[in-house]
Parts: sequence; C-alpha cells; structure tokens
Amino acid sequence: MTDAEVTACLARGRAGDEKAIIELYHYMYPHVAKLVHANLPPKESAEDLVQQVCIKVMRNLNQFSGKVPFLHWVSRIAVNTCLNQIRYERHRPEVRLADLSEEAAGVVEHLTVASEELDSSEKFAARELVEKLLAALRPADRLLMRLMYLEGYSIDEISNVTGWSQTLVKVRAFRARSQLRQRYILLMKENL
Amino acid sequence: MNRIDEQLNRLFRAAAQAKPEGEFVPPYGAETRVLAAWRMGTPVEFLWDMSLLVRGLILASLIMGISLWPLMSQSANPFSDYLQLADSTIQVDNTP
Repeated sequence: MTDAEVTACLARGRAGDEKAIIELYHYMYPHVAKLVHANLPPKESAEDLVQQVCIKVMRNLNQFSGKVPFLHWVSRIAVNTCLNQIRYERHRPEVRLADLSEEAAGVVEHLTVASEELDSSEKFAARELVEKLLAALRPADRLLMRLMYLEGYSIDEISNVTGWSQTLVKVRAFRARSQLRQRYILLMKENL
Repeated sequence: MNRIDEQLNRLFRAAAQAKPEGEFVPPYGAETRVLAAWRMGTPVEFLWDMSLLVRGLILASLIMGISLWPLMSQSANPFSDYLQLADSTIQVDNTP
C-alpha cells in the first residue's frame, strides 16, 4: 500500500467506511506482528500484544495527524506497548556457556577462532546466542539493540519509532553495546 | 574496530538472517474486535448534542446569576436589615 493509498484509506475510514478500516488493519498487521515478535521475549504471549496494539491504533485513529508516515505512528505505539509490557521485568539472567546449546557454543568457538562470516546453517544458533546475550540487558536497551542490529533500523528510524532523541539513541546504544561486549568477553573466557 | 567488536558484528549479521518463518496473518475473528475498537474511538453524533447541552447549561446559569444579582447585592448590604427595620418603625409610628 502506498502513502497515497493509506491516506485515501484513512479518509474513507474517517467517513465511516468499515471496509477501509479492515484494509488498514490488514496492511499494518504484519508490521505490528513483526515488531512485537522481535521485541518480546519468547515466553510472553506476543499474539495478545499484537491484538492489543492493533486495538490501540484503531481506537486512536482519529488522533493520527498525518505528519509522519502511518507505519511510523503505528510502530511507535507498538514499541511503547512492548516497552510497557517488559518494563517491570526484573529477571535478567547471566549468560553462561554451559546454558547454551551445543550449536550456540559452537558459534562462540567459530567466532573466536575463525575470521570469516558465520555459515547460514549457524544462523539459528547465532540468534539463540544473541537472544541469550540480549536477555541480560535492560528492556529498553534490549529493544534498541534488536532494532539496530537485528532489524536493521537506522538511528533516525529508531528515534522515530521510540520517540527518543537521536542523542539518547546513540548514548543508549553505546552503553548497551558495551554491556554486550562485556558479557561476550566473559563467554569467550569460559570457552578458552 | 577491535577484534571483539568485529566478532559481535559477525554474530549480529548471522542472527539477523534468522527471521521468524512464515507470514504474519491476522487471527480469525480479530477483525470484529478491531472494528469495535475503531467504533469506540470514533467521535459520535451525540457529541454535537452534548456541546449544545453544555452551552444551554452555561446560558441558564448566566440567566440565574443575573436574575439573582439584585437580591444578592441587597443581602450583601450589612445595613439593609437596619434600614428595613427603621423603615417599618417609621411607617408604624406614622400610622394614625
């Protein structure tokens, strides 16, 4: 759906056309689902939260001014809802080599001894390792790292989606990255 | 960039390739809930009536205020009771 089509759909929706609202819902659903699934720990019920975000968007549709692209506005609601969901999470487990699967431990070894890119067969083990490393970060930092390194968002896009200033994004990213580095070094030391 | 950062970058690049499989499809029946939410957020017709009601109430209060003003100002005068008493006394005394 192009920006013009979204604007037309919104106009029809505001005029009371339910079909347009359904079209908007189908348009934004994969985007919201992707964001929520990427930013919520696996144990949480992502599907419920996706629905919660969609309902929040629809309830506030009249507040959308059109100054930013529709999906940016939706993303901000999704990210803030995710952050609220995980804000009070206290449990941040330390990463230990013994807790990793054999494949993830293999990834640590591969990264240490070889300098080439990881094989595509190792991508899921790499993801597991990254998730374990991220689990030790604070929720906001974790979300930032996911958006930046796993989803490929730029600093400007992260700023748009979270509502944080670009400076805050950079500072948080720097701190979070330092923490990740520390934890990764600990893993490497265990591997030696 | 040091060795650790380079390793972390390789790790992130590989992990980013492991996207969740399959497309995200809205669950069955979710459209109804979404439409209900949209209807709740839509400004409805009676809001115009509500604003009219509020304006009517403000106008009624104003009229009440204006009509009660003389009475209020009279009762606000601390000598009004004495003046009325004196007035009635004079009337009684002058009555043959």
